[in-house]
Amino acid sequence: MNYTTANITTLLIGAILAITIFIMVRKDHLHGPFAIWWLAIACIAIVLGIFPIIVNKVAHYAGITYPPTLILVLAVSFILLKMLSQDLQRTLQEKKIRRLTQKMAILEKAIKDHETNNNKQ
Amino acid sequence: MKSLIVIPALNEESSIQSVIEQLKSDQHCDILVVNDNSTDNTAQIVLNNNVDLLDLPLQLGAWGATQTGIRYGLKNGYDSVITMDADGQHISAGTKRLKQHLIDSHANVVIGTYTQRLSRPKRIAWWFFKTITHLKIEDLTSGFRIYDRKAMKILSSSAASLLDYQDVGVLLLLTKSGMKITETEVPMKNRQNGKSKIFYSWWMVLKYMIQTTTLCIAKTGGGYKKDKNS
Repeated sequence: MNYTTANITTLLIGAILAITIFIMVRKDHLHGPFAIWWLAIACIAIVLGIFPIIVNKVAHYAGITYPPTLILVLAVSFILLKMLSQDLQRTLQEKKIRRLTQKMAILEKAIKDHETNNNKQ
Repeated sequence: MKSLIVIPALNEESSIQSVIEQLKSDQHCDILVVNDNSTDNTAQIVLNNNVDLLDLPLQLGAWGATQTGIRYGLKNGYDSVITMDADGQHISAGTKRLKQHLIDSHANVVIGTYTQRLSRPKRIAWWFFKTITHLKIEDLTSGFRIYDRKAMKILSSSAASLLDYQDVGVLLLLTKSGMKITETEVPMKNRQNGKSKIFYSWWMVLKYMIQTTTLCIAKTGGGYKKDKNS
């Protein structure tokens, strides 16, 4: 197999990404499901760096004459998917924050009322 | 029937005093002000008047604040909740009419309408929303409403937590859940201070129209599952 500088670059990007992810998880900057996503991306980069032939083969079967196009198209699609999933996540969080805020206000009032009643007695 | 008047308030120090005084002078039900993280003296004025107050630690918007009041009402055993604005456009006498209409009509929700207040662009917008949602209600955005306990339960659920305005989204959720909604004409004053929270700039109107249209299209028609956990 002929290795080009491009393959080594891909390999390096994958490796650095993987190491960064492990450091982030170690420092508690990144948790569970997110780490898995980014590690998967790192793995794909490493695999494609080692076996660049995969891209050519898949592009050939998919009827794409210029293989790098395949990578770009897939990359953009995954970025869009990731962004959509982030917004879904944020929506869920927004819902939780709203309900928590409401509950907190209600509980705060209950505590205050309780204190006032105790002081009266 | 034990009713709770819920007043969501965001920076209403100029009008809240008179609204409370008016309600207290001829009132028959408890009053609760939900302070939507105001930066002015709204909360202090409410407390000075010995009226119940819920203080939101984060700003949730008019509907978020209203929902807090509905959840509070449900938790504290109220049979119905009346929502009204803090800017003084809803008149205290109207609350009695809403309550009476709820009893007479056997509906779950009564909306206090004042069709004269509708400006031409608003009429066009409402006509549009009524056409795409098949809601048979004149005034879609009136914040002057009474909800019975069944409706309160539905609106307290987390299915209603992502709504932003007390308007079409709330009405669609209620209709889907089989609630009966009626309207009654009530007297209203023109806003004493401030303007409509929505209809004050073209950019806001556009945003509101697109957001509400999306909601209407997505939520109209059968088949969407109601979120049960709260």
